[in-house]
Amino acid sequence: MNHKLKKLATNWRIIILAVFILMSLIALHPTLNNGVAIRSVLTNSSASIAGIPQPDPSVQPVSRERILSINNVPIADTKSYYKYISSLRVNKTIQIKTSKKVYTLTTKEKFETIELNETEEKIVNEIVQSNKTINGTTQLINETITKKIIVPKTQQISKGLEDLGLGVYDAPSTNIRKGLDLQGGTRVLLQPETKLNSLDINVLIDNMKERLNVYGLSDLVVLESDDLPPPFGTGNQYIVVEIAGATEDEVKDLLAKQGKFEAKIGNETVFRGGHDILYVGRSSQDSRIEGCNPTGNQLACRFSFAITLSQEAAQKQADATKNSTVIYDPSTSRSDYLSDKIEFYLDDKKVDELNIGADLKGQAVTQIAISGSGVGANQQDAVVNANLNMKRLQTILITGSLPVKLSILKTDAISPVLGEGFVNNSILMSLLAILAVAIVVGIRYRKLLIAIPILITMLSEVIILLGVAALIKWNIDLAAIAGILVAIGTGVDDQIVITDETLKADSSGAYGWKDKVKRAFLIIMLAYLTVVAAMFPLIFAGAGLLKGFAITTIIGVTIGVFITRPAYSAFVEVMLK
Amino acid sequence: MEEQNKEQNNEQQKHIAEHHKKEEQKEQKKSLKQKLFHIYDKKYKMLLIFPFLMLVLALGQIGYQVYKTGDFIKRDVSLKGGVTVTIPVDKAVDITQLENLIKSKFPNNDIAVRTLGSAGTNAGVIVEADIDGNNKDEVQNLLSAIESSLGINLSKVNYGIEIIGSSLGASFFRASLRALVVAFLLMGLVVMIYFRTFVPSIAVIVAGFSDMVVSLAVVNMLGIRVGTAGIAAFLMLIGYSVDTDILLTVRVLKRREGTVMDRIISSIKTGMTETMTAMVAVVVAMLVTQSEVIRQIMIILLIGLFADILNTWIQNVGILRIYIEKQAKKGIII
Repeated sequence: MNHKLKKLATNWRIIILAVFILMSLIALHPTLNNGVAIRSVLTNSSASIAGIPQPDPSVQPVSRERILSINNVPIADTKSYYKYISSLRVNKTIQIKTSKKVYTLTTKEKFETIELNETEEKIVNEIVQSNKTINGTTQLINETITKKIIVPKTQQISKGLEDLGLGVYDAPSTNIRKGLDLQGGTRVLLQPETKLNSLDINVLIDNMKERLNVYGLSDLVVLESDDLPPPFGTGNQYIVVEIAGATEDEVKDLLAKQGKFEAKIGNETVFRGGHDILYVGRSSQDSRIEGCNPTGNQLACRFSFAITLSQEAAQKQADATKNSTVIYDPSTSRSDYLSDKIEFYLDDKKVDELNIGADLKGQAVTQIAISGSGVGANQQDAVVNANLNMKRLQTILITGSLPVKLSILKTDAISPVLGEGFVNNSILMSLLAILAVAIVVGIRYRKLLIAIPILITMLSEVIILLGVAALIKWNIDLAAIAGILVAIGTGVDDQIVITDETLKADSSGAYGWKDKVKRAFLIIMLAYLTVVAAMFPLIFAGAGLLKGFAITTIIGVTIGVFITRPAYSAFVEVMLK
Repeated sequence: MEEQNKEQNNEQQKHIAEHHKKEEQKEQKKSLKQKLFHIYDKKYKMLLIFPFLMLVLALGQIGYQVYKTGDFIKRDVSLKGGVTVTIPVDKAVDITQLENLIKSKFPNNDIAVRTLGSAGTNAGVIVEADIDGNNKDEVQNLLSAIESSLGINLSKVNYGIEIIGSSLGASFFRASLRALVVAFLLMGLVVMIYFRTFVPSIAVIVAGFSDMVVSLAVVNMLGIRVGTAGIAAFLMLIGYSVDTDILLTVRVLKRREGTVMDRIISSIKTGMTETMTAMVAVVVAMLVTQSEVIRQIMIILLIGLFADILNTWIQNVGILRIYIEKQAKKGIII
């Protein structure tokens, strides 16, 4: 027996299997992590102000930042997190201890501003930029003007504690990335209205990612998923967006926007994002926050950045302002501006308007400044928001609008409640199925020395498959679980072939062990190739809905044929020879 | 003492008589087994009627389905377009009643209600309706119909909703079918390249084809609505069903030990073990899983595995033996 064990331990095929299992366990990194992991941090919330960073989706699940305690009260799971949060009061300082550091947060009060039926007069200082032509060159000039404005009276009503702005989930105990149907979230399938080339589609995907990131959704997947061109497929082009822990409405709202930027004078479109803009200033010289002014009970900070227009767009602007009249402002007794304003539209919604300097009338100017604002309860918030809005506008102007309109074909909103049950159930199902197979094999061969190794082989296949999935950051969803089952199923078939081929009474005695194993592998390789051939087309069909299933199956049978099957045959050879 | 001896003798004789009886019974059983074996061994051409009859009946069923519904398969909303709502409920729900209640509000639509759960436990209810998912009013109507029928407030539970546009459903269906056909052709190609002989390769391919067609017909007869998961199951079936056919063909054509019949019997032993392990795994998964996706895959696989027994061990064996016979006449002994 000892001799056989030694032989097993030195067999290279078994050593390879052991190494792969070990590597998979390292990749899976099973831990007893306590606390709740941070999924998202809302910008401008107490949490983001305290410096809690937005989690990086590329970080492995086990290594994500976790909240361990709040005010020294340990947080074990999401339930205890929400329970503690609900006991918090407004304007209190709390300490959140995470797996990385300790953050000090100040809780905020949530206000709702309502407009009263009265008006009041306010005097505000405003910094306005205008484009002026001085000595033949166009320059950006800042002017401070004092204005008297009439605004409706507002009243703020406290709505209690504002949410800390943290999205959390129970700390993962392994690096297995759960797919959407196992953890809850939203999946949206989009189709561009016209077919795009690969360059355009990449711009589109980058643009979408950036936009979703701006809104604090970082745990997301945006990818292109196409059918094969005819005659092998329908040739349809799809984009799949998956966001964990986001609601359907949030995602739909963000994606339905095309991000179409238009500048209009009157009803005339002067220039569009992407097409007519040659350069967008993003350096500190070309872009900045201008200053802040109160609006109501809040502060608004203005930002501005310079862009360069194409000659064509500049000419359009000149044509559009040709017939404008210069208006006289009695309060300042100056005539600085034209009657028409330049208005900026984002997705057909007016986002800002700028006065046009009187001396720009009919001039084709290529250098212009774009400005806008961000609002916040205090200066810090307002600056953060202004920066955010500026970045968003810059992104849209640089990458252009999404090249085409996207139509939403399919949305799945999966509730995490269902997801949780699915995970435990799937684990139970897989274990019972594996056990049932081991029992059948045990009955058939009446030898523990065959049933147990087959059981071990099945389990090690699951471990290696999950390890590979964790390593390549592959999401395990229901389809993938089905794939794992197929892989194990064909694996068992192969083990049975190996067992029968090697144990078969060989009357002539012409075949040695090596030949027998070789013969078994002839059958196995052919079976393997047919499974791969059958799964292959599925990777490229139907918007990749069954891609997870197909790829998991292919990876699984490949691991089986090249790693676990040789080890099993080595085991049978050593133990039963 | 003598009395006792006599009794013992009697007992012994009785025992011996009983033993003989048992032996006789065994022999009778054996002869039944032998009879069956004899039929299997000698009348393989006649036996071919069964799998091919099954295939013809299945094709007939599919033809009838096309004639009646215009479609050879009963598609669910994932291949047709529509809305699927998944509601977690922990109490028992009368499914037929719920279905009728919702149907009464959507008389022109195809409504299906299923439970989500396993082995008696109830985790939730799934409602499928082939309404236009992009029409917000209709979706809202469906949700409120579910609310009133179930007597719950949907805003208070974490329900899941899946909306598939009808053009997308149709396009998925086409794409999946193409994938299925391409998969089948690729499989056939692999088999052809490996065996390099026409008839045995065709026998494997025909067996795989029969498995799929028969399973499809049974699925239709059971009234199962097939979704993308079902398509995946049919693809899996290709892999599983040709496993046994490959085993058989390799053993019969590429081995030299024993007679052809010995090789076939040894293949049946191995192949049936494969089928049995697959079947128990499939049944266990079917009973335990809460997921409708996985359950559908398992049901289709189970049907396919049953069909495969006939298609491999009678159809494929039969064709293979006819081929061997023909070769023998040409003087090629396999």
